[in-house]
Amino acid sequence: MAEFVAGISVVCFAASYAVALACEALRPALRSGVRGIAMLGFAAAGLLAHTLFLVWRAATEPSIPLSSPFDWYLLAAWLLAAGSLWLTITQPRTPVGLFVLPVVLMLVGAAQLSSRQPFPQSPATQIWGAIHGMFNLAASVAVLLGAVAGGMWLIQAGRLARKQAPVQGFRMPSLERLAHVTSRTPGIAAWTAAAGFVSGIVLNAVNRQRGLLETVPWNDPVVVRMAAVVVWLVTADALVHAARRRAEGPRAAAWLALASAAVLSASMLWGVFGATRHGMPPPASPAAASSGPATAGHEDSP
Amino acid sequence: MTLALVGGTHRTVPLDLRERLAFSAEQTADALARFRDRFPGREGVLLSTCNRVELYAAGAPDAPAPDATDIVAFLAECRGLDATQLEPLLSRERDEAVVRHLFAVAAGLDSMVLGEPQILAQVKQAWTLAQENRTAGPVTGGMFQGALRAAKRVATETGLGRQRVSIPSVAVADFASGVFERFDDKRVLLIGAGKMAAETLRYLREAGARDVTIVNRTAGRAVELAARLGARPGRFDRLAAELVTADLVVSTTGASDPVVTLDLFAAVEPRREGRPLVVLDLAVPRDFDPRIGTRSGVWLYSVDDLAAACDANRRSRQREMPAALAIVDEETRRFMGDLHHRSTAPVIERLRAGWSETGDAELERLFRRLPHLADADRDEIRQAFDRYAAKLLHPPLVSLRDESRSGSPHGLLDALKRLFDLDD
Repeated sequence: MAEFVAGISVVCFAASYAVALACEALRPALRSGVRGIAMLGFAAAGLLAHTLFLVWRAATEPSIPLSSPFDWYLLAAWLLAAGSLWLTITQPRTPVGLFVLPVVLMLVGAAQLSSRQPFPQSPATQIWGAIHGMFNLAASVAVLLGAVAGGMWLIQAGRLARKQAPVQGFRMPSLERLAHVTSRTPGIAAWTAAAGFVSGIVLNAVNRQRGLLETVPWNDPVVVRMAAVVVWLVTADALVHAARRRAEGPRAAAWLALASAAVLSASMLWGVFGATRHGMPPPASPAAASSGPATAGHEDSP
Repeated sequence: MTLALVGGTHRTVPLDLRERLAFSAEQTADALARFRDRFPGREGVLLSTCNRVELYAAGAPDAPAPDATDIVAFLAECRGLDATQLEPLLSRERDEAVVRHLFAVAAGLDSMVLGEPQILAQVKQAWTLAQENRTAGPVTGGMFQGALRAAKRVATETGLGRQRVSIPSVAVADFASGVFERFDDKRVLLIGAGKMAAETLRYLREAGARDVTIVNRTAGRAVELAARLGARPGRFDRLAAELVTADLVVSTTGASDPVVTLDLFAAVEPRREGRPLVVLDLAVPRDFDPRIGTRSGVWLYSVDDLAAACDANRRSRQREMPAALAIVDEETRRFMGDLHHRSTAPVIERLRAGWSETGDAELERLFRRLPHLADADRDEIRQAFDRYAAKLLHPPLVSLRDESRSGSPHGLLDALKRLFDLDD
């Protein structure tokens, strides 16, 4: 069993999600129940493999989940994939997977391009690191969910404005439900991102005190991009709030949700390809050099 | 087994004659009782809806299904009509065509509105009435079960019944439900008392709408309609105030000029605080200035918009026809295969009985010659004989089953009868 689980790779579940996405894309053309079962089967198989992969890594790597950019992206992808599967089961007539699975695949792709090396940790930084990672994870998932709902809102609104009947097998959620999501996710994203940023400052201070990691300067690209994301999300939330009692409010919220996803994506790309001192060990010292691979430095970029 | 069908539909029988030919539930029960007396040993199911009257009959080889002329005469007699008047208008089918027709009817492929689902309930009801009146039997039973299966497959495997084709249903299910998730917390405003308003309200009620206000230029008519539809009557002179609180408006007045002008709506709009408004303007000429539909948060649909969506849905249903007909064909072939195979049962039974009889006689003789055999040994020998007989019978039975799929296996049955000297 352990051998089987150890053999699961990122490609296994990414391929399952890709096939599930292809099945979902065939929805308007192929209305056979077999398509739906195949879609659910591949999505469930992908999620199972994804879960086993994460559990195996958590059990075998000397760190907790969220301890490397790779694990962080995969956990974000897992949350969205699980949500997508649940929504597909509870609302089979809505093509949720068509919108969420591409995001899942993009996160898996980002994981593949990111470092798998865990950040060096001590008990104190482990807690703050987990808090920092979880807040950032919650913010990112909220932004991506909001963007999916925003995209769906614009498509549904476009169909209603053109006065077209829904395409068979492609029934979107109502504008009311989608607007409910797009109006709430900016607030959740803004506050969790702000909390993630603040916890990152605390983590940085603890690291500096313990000398475990190199101090991340204020002008480090990671700090700058995260600050920019927080500022954007707070602004977006304020704009959504201001437009709440206006007829254009839901449309504005939908576009802002998409814009937030674009800002977040740009930030992630910067994280994947840009240089940073984030998560780097302090400059090599005899003591550090003798402590082995757990404190080995790494770059966020591949 | 023989099957017969005589019937008339909206395509072949004019409405006035169809009305006289139609059977109520009591009249159907009476007709089926008469059928039992008139055609003893035959099975019969009478399907009567506002668009069709069809009598399905089945018979065994010794008592075949009545011929079409007898069924026409029977129907005419039941409804007190002239058989010669009915004769040219009623269509008739035999055997496989009967099955195919029933399956298509149950799936809504022969309905006036293609794919409409009510016919399935009517088919079920016809079958239930036949059971209650003891004119149903194994052949019609299998056929009606097959019809329900075919209809279910058509409904689930094609999009035939999914697209709505009436203006009120499209208005509610395809447009209002696209904007609102639920209707139990929405305020519905009915302006005018047109027939379409009541029909649309029925769909809204089904979707959960509870808070309904009706305004009409004639206050008395609004009160009367509100009482009938379980709604609250409102005052026409307070239309602007009603528009402020409404989430969904259904308008069906007979006014020659717009009831809600752009100016009136512009005055109302700021007080709505950005809440979305769905307007189903079912009046001709229109009650709402069409420019209102361009305002943010307003989803305005006229009769023409909804009719265009209905037409698109009808075309979409039509595109599903080949897939639906393929299912009907497949289910018909399956049923006919089973029916033909079932007709071979008596011959198979006689063949098995003959072989069993011979085997038993041989075993008896063997056991008399070998009295020292223990009971366990005798059982072993008996089982070996049974297995031997079953293996020998297997190829002809498989051939019979395969032959049944492509029609009644008369040739093989005759050959078996002659080869094994089986009596009829």
